[in-house]
Amino acid sequence: MTDTLPDVPVESVPATKAVLIWRAVFVLIPLVFIVFLAMRLGTAKSEHRAEGLAPPLEFTTFEGEIINLDDLRGQGVVVNFWASWCDPCREEAALLEKTWQREMENGIIFLGLDYLDQEPAAKAYLVEFDVTYPNGPDLRSQVARRYGIQGVPETFFIDPEGKIVDIIVGPITSQAQMDNYLDKIRPKEK
Amino acid sequence: MLFNIGYLILVAALVLAGFGVVVGFAGGQQRNQRLVQSSFHAVYAVAGLVGIAAVILWYGLLTDQFQLTYVWNHSERALSNFYKFSALWGGQAGSLLFWTLLLSLYSVALALLNRRQHQVLMPYVNAVMLATSFFFLILLVFSANPFKQVAFIPADGQGLNPLLQNYWMVLHPVMLYLGYVGLAVPFAFAVGALLSKRVGNEWVRTVRRWTLIPWMFLSAGILMGSQWAYMELGWGGYWAWDPVENASLLPWLTATAFLHSIIIQEQRGILKTWNVVLIWLTYFLVILGTFTTRSGVLQSVHAFAISDVGPLFLGFMIIIVFGFLWLLFKRLYLLKDEQSIDSYSSREAAFLGNNWLFVSITFATLWGTFFPMFSEILTGERISVAAPFFNKVNGPLFLLLFLLMGIGPLLGWRRTGMKALRQQFTWPLIAGVVMGVAAIFLSPNPWPSIGLAVCAFATATIVQEFVRGVLARRTTNNENVLVAMGSLIRRNGRRYGGYIVHLGMVMIAVAIIGNEFFQQTTNVTLAPGTKVELGGYELTYVGLETNRASNRTEYGARLIVHDSDGKMVGSLLPLRNIYDKTPDMPTSEVGLRTTLLEDVYVLLNGWEGGGSTATFSIYINPLTVWMWIGGLMLILGTLIASWPHPVKRTTSVPSGAVAVAGD
Amino acid sequence: MKIRFIPFIRILFSFFLFLTAFSVALAQTPTPTPDTSAISADQVNAVARGLWCPLCSGVRLDVCELKACDQMKEMIAIKLAEGASEEEIKTYFAEQYGPQVFGQPPTEGFNWLAWILPVVGLLGGGIFVWYGIRRMIRPQPGVTAAQDAPSAAADDYSQKLEQELSRYD
Repeated sequence: MTDTLPDVPVESVPATKAVLIWRAVFVLIPLVFIVFLAMRLGTAKSEHRAEGLAPPLEFTTFEGEIINLDDLRGQGVVVNFWASWCDPCREEAALLEKTWQREMENGIIFLGLDYLDQEPAAKAYLVEFDVTYPNGPDLRSQVARRYGIQGVPETFFIDPEGKIVDIIVGPITSQAQMDNYLDKIRPKEK
Repeated sequence: MLFNIGYLILVAALVLAGFGVVVGFAGGQQRNQRLVQSSFHAVYAVAGLVGIAAVILWYGLLTDQFQLTYVWNHSERALSNFYKFSALWGGQAGSLLFWTLLLSLYSVALALLNRRQHQVLMPYVNAVMLATSFFFLILLVFSANPFKQVAFIPADGQGLNPLLQNYWMVLHPVMLYLGYVGLAVPFAFAVGALLSKRVGNEWVRTVRRWTLIPWMFLSAGILMGSQWAYMELGWGGYWAWDPVENASLLPWLTATAFLHSIIIQEQRGILKTWNVVLIWLTYFLVILGTFTTRSGVLQSVHAFAISDVGPLFLGFMIIIVFGFLWLLFKRLYLLKDEQSIDSYSSREAAFLGNNWLFVSITFATLWGTFFPMFSEILTGERISVAAPFFNKVNGPLFLLLFLLMGIGPLLGWRRTGMKALRQQFTWPLIAGVVMGVAAIFLSPNPWPSIGLAVCAFATATIVQEFVRGVLARRTTNNENVLVAMGSLIRRNGRRYGGYIVHLGMVMIAVAIIGNEFFQQTTNVTLAPGTKVELGGYELTYVGLETNRASNRTEYGARLIVHDSDGKMVGSLLPLRNIYDKTPDMPTSEVGLRTTLLEDVYVLLNGWEGGGSTATFSIYINPLTVWMWIGGLMLILGTLIASWPHPVKRTTSVPSGAVAVAGD
Repeated sequence: MKIRFIPFIRILFSFFLFLTAFSVALAQTPTPTPDTSAISADQVNAVARGLWCPLCSGVRLDVCELKACDQMKEMIAIKLAEGASEEEIKTYFAEQYGPQVFGQPPTEGFNWLAWILPVVGLLGGGIFVWYGIRRMIRPQPGVTAAQDAPSAAADDYSQKLEQELSRYD
């Protein structure tokens, strides 16, 4: 098996169509792959939570009631993602319920979406904290995906026009903080 | 002060590496002896500098210099010296430095061993090795500085991740990196061959050993990772098709294909284009694998913390793709086949089949690993691709591969006539069928029977080869069996070493079949004195034992194991380690009793009231030890196959002849 | 017609009130969970081995130690106690969490691509190699290779062996 010496009179032949197609394939496939990687890198950095107009939200509560965000235009909506296995969620559960009791006549509504959870454990959690505002399982994490949450608890404050005003990652621990966010989504007095 | 110097040393290494790349490529092209020598010096200098930088970081680790962020993040005062040493590769920046260190050492070995040979290729080889070092030094200098400091000195560090405080976990990255890094060498030769237009067998012959050794390390590294997963992660398994695991497997697959297909190029002078593409793919997959584990593109239990190295890797990968393809297209006209394949029933055809399967498995694994990413970008849905997918897709392919592994040695080069086919295939086929039929009684599932039949077939082939070889030597040389075997191996290490490697692979396959299809398991809560029965064993819980180590408390549950005759066969102590610094990240130690036939494997899940009850997961894992034995065979076979023999090389050029015309 | 019945009506009324309150109270308590003490951990794990933790990546449910996974296993125990089959339980979890609990892409829509592309790649590559070999195989004018030696004798074989061995050197 001889080495091909550089002086061998083998010339570069013009590429046939087949060779050109192969070249295109070999160049394009890795390129597309790298582009995908770049896109993924881009999104990995920025956690792409929903912003602007709140994405559609419809779910069925544990009591069987269907809630749709569109029906709640005109009210300030607090959407809280939680789970019974989530320890930080417990830190804010009492506060959420207390605030709901206080605000239910003021055009503010609290909604709880149960993320990747089981019904018995979820119901036990709700009973433990005496939660009365509407709560339901986020089946197949459809809503969680649309809102782009990265974990629980996360709370979205939506104004009466349907725009997301604040996103709080982690438990809300002080009433003052809560009131601060609420004030931005109160329905305007006529 | 010292650590600032460490950083400057890395900067200097970066500059020198860049310089070395330039003089290497230029010297190779112009055949300028001075430039070529410069490239060698650059290799040595970069290695020296990187070595000093590594020593400085080790010093920082071993003397608890917590003002270094890296030391603070990955070490603590109470850590044993052994783990302080290994903390060098426990985190992002340190492991990148370690990667670069190993790369430099490989480059030096390569340069020293070849300083009087392959004089046309070596400058290019040096340049490519230095280019890789250059990239990693860029990462170290600009994005992952191991010598980053804070203004004050913290009292103590965070400690090393508990999962890394394990003997296997110290060794596994070293082996893995030695494999990964080493695979840059054959790629460097391929690029050198293309650039210098010497695309014949010179580079292929040289590269054989330089691929075998990294391949061996990579195989060992993968197996050690599996060993660690088996002993530490406590789910009775050893491979989860996790993205980081797959990242280490992908270049192994293409490197194995490459090892086989260069044999064809050596014998028949064909597949030249395919071989350079294959080794380029291997190098790309090495860089991709290194990228995947550090950039956060894929979710994994193994991944390093997300850092900023991602975009730099992407840039490098673009250069690798476009640079190499451009070079390949320019040199394509030189890579013509010298001969051809003569028949389907030839060893060449079998090797091509082997390549086809390996590349298909590589593609399927790559696709499955990155599919969640594609799916999320294109549809927004997060799909999980785990063991079920890979087992279903790769399982049959590996089965075919093992079948081919058995068939290959039975075929002759160029063509195999009917008579020879009948001669060769009879005994192995009988062995396979007998095993298949016997195995049907063990399980209703057809897959393990087929798998075991194929393994028996492949084993019979290998044994047959050895028997024939020994018989042949006995008739010609009248040696006794042992001497005959010894001289077979010595005289033809490549072939018989290869067969030993194949035997090791069969053992691993058998272990996988045993664990996958015949595992028994149970979950029990026991009070002291009570026992549980599983798989013919009786395990009696005795009590909880506590032991205090330097940075953790070990809680162990003692179990006495009796076999079906009532004889005591072992005492097991599965552990839960609770670390002082990270009490919510406990680790487990499995209680293990190993025999050639099966493992008794116990995990301590939890306990109540200081040991008044304890909950265990118990597994009986058949044939698992054969995976580790197979690994040893793999290493033995590779050493035999790559053992240096004093063979005359017609392509070596005497040292003074570089500038001779017509080179 | 009225005053004489008042005490009786009062009792009747309070009885109805009590009945209403009692049934309302009854409606508030959750349906009693079936007795899961008969379901062993092994039975639960047998089902759990076919499911994957929805929160982790690539961790099987029977070995996952997260609280969420413990709750899933409790759910499996409850469903087993109710008499559900393994299929029904798996379907239930898929409805709750989506197809990621199966650890493999579903075979519908975009995800079908996950399964089909490796097959296409395999077959495409195979066809390519097959035809590549075919193109290379030139017609043999009658000279077959010496490897076709009919004798099975050790001498011939050893000759062949030496021939082949020398090729490797």
